[in-house]
Amino acid sequence: MKIRTMEYFIKEALSSLKRNGLMSFASVTTVALSLLILGMFLVMVLNLNNMASTLESQVQISVYLQDGLTDHEMREVGTRITKIPGVVQVNFVGKEEAMNRFKERLGEQQGLLNALGEANPLPNAFEVKVDKTERVKAAAQAMMQFKGVENAKFGQEVVEQLFALTKMVRIFGLVIIVFLALAALFIISNTIRITVFARRKEIGIMKYVGATNWFIRWPFLLEGMMLGFGGALVAVLFLNETYGILIHQVYETLAFLPLIPQYPFITNISVVLLVTGTVIGALGSTISLRRYMRV
Amino acid sequence: MIHLDGVSKIYGNGCVALSDITLDIPKGDFVFVVGPSGAGKSTFIKLIFREELPTKGKLIVNGRNVGELEPSEIPYLRRNLGIVFQDYRLLPNKTVYENVAFAMQVIESSRRDIQKRVSHVLDLVGLRHKAKNFPGELSGGEQQRIAIARAIVNNPVVVIADEPTGNLDPETSWDIMRIFERINRDGTTIVMATHDKSVVDAMKKRVIAIEKSRIARDQVKGVYGYED
Repeated sequence: MKIRTMEYFIKEALSSLKRNGLMSFASVTTVALSLLILGMFLVMVLNLNNMASTLESQVQISVYLQDGLTDHEMREVGTRITKIPGVVQVNFVGKEEAMNRFKERLGEQQGLLNALGEANPLPNAFEVKVDKTERVKAAAQAMMQFKGVENAKFGQEVVEQLFALTKMVRIFGLVIIVFLALAALFIISNTIRITVFARRKEIGIMKYVGATNWFIRWPFLLEGMMLGFGGALVAVLFLNETYGILIHQVYETLAFLPLIPQYPFITNISVVLLVTGTVIGALGSTISLRRYMRV
Repeated sequence: MIHLDGVSKIYGNGCVALSDITLDIPKGDFVFVVGPSGAGKSTFIKLIFREELPTKGKLIVNGRNVGELEPSEIPYLRRNLGIVFQDYRLLPNKTVYENVAFAMQVIESSRRDIQKRVSHVLDLVGLRHKAKNFPGELSGGEQQRIAIARAIVNNPVVVIADEPTGNLDPETSWDIMRIFERINRDGTTIVMATHDKSVVDAMKKRVIAIEKSRIARDQVKGVYGYED
């Protein structure tokens, strides 16, 4: 393809975008919205996955003891725990230490705890490490039966819940995304159809003077791709900005939430969105070209 | 140049437009195709530039078997043909110059070639001074001359014209005919469907009359032969 021809295609596509200003605007907006939502779901699913795997790598069982046990009784529980198959380490975490750790985690917001006064609602506990992840569940269930044990929690539960949540978000997101992608496809193909219709005379003459089908198609294809890319660009800019703000907010207030850092995470998602937008645009115009141009 | 061997065209609705046509149009010929409306003239023209496909028979145009062309080969057939319509088919939002240059742009000619050729053909039809005008600012005869300029700008071997003077008054029609004659003198084959009795009678060219989908007459230096 000659450079002059490429120039001609781009010029034609741009002038057509301008001529159908309102339709172009509607297309870009629809694509932008669809891809923005796609982007948000991607951010959400990937972050949930990330949280789940972070937690999974630190499975340990927290065994909370009932209040009012004597030292002897507590030691008894500890001994019984060590005898459970698979248990490799048992640490006692007293009420005070638990409180200190909690304060540390809250960081600047420890002030919140002042409301409690001298009272310490946190229980005495054991932290138990097990040699294999598969054994965690059975071990925790066994400990739960011990006298003096209030509850035995392990990360696995949270992990499983997170994975379940991820799965739900994924399915829900997929449905919405498919729906929105179809809407974007429809509006782009409609825009191109209008362009093709407005220029049917020109297309007829091009055919009579021997233009190849691809020569006739390219400007329309480019127009669709520009619409898709434009919409994606809007979505990407918006997503980048909001994720930046979100990260900032989370670091300030909920520091323990393990969010994926902005870069290169958002850059990768941006590439996905831009490619998707362009492909949707190309597909949309292809549909119209096949149905309305007979070339 | 154009060769038909037992060509028939039956449309999807069963209408027989041409049946069993055999004829030969050699290079450099000037042929009028005449006959009553609906007799098959337009179909004949459309077959030549592969707007329609022959139902039966063999049709060769400029060495290509038109009935067996792949869709991707059609543009290359048409690059050797110039087509002129009754309704000119110019683009109203392009200037005269751009309308003619358009035909060269779409086959990716170089900018220099385009400038040279467009000026040349505008000279040939006598409208170089109108290059910057829009079609809407020209008379019907002038618009048809622009359409002819566009048809010949890519140096076609055959110019096909479907009632090119159908919308024009007799005097203007003669201007148009003189241009076709000039093009023909330079060696280009001309096939023209027409209803213009005075033109056909005066020009004494080959006349092919199509009636009821068949060739009724094929005369060298023929006449129109119908009352209008």
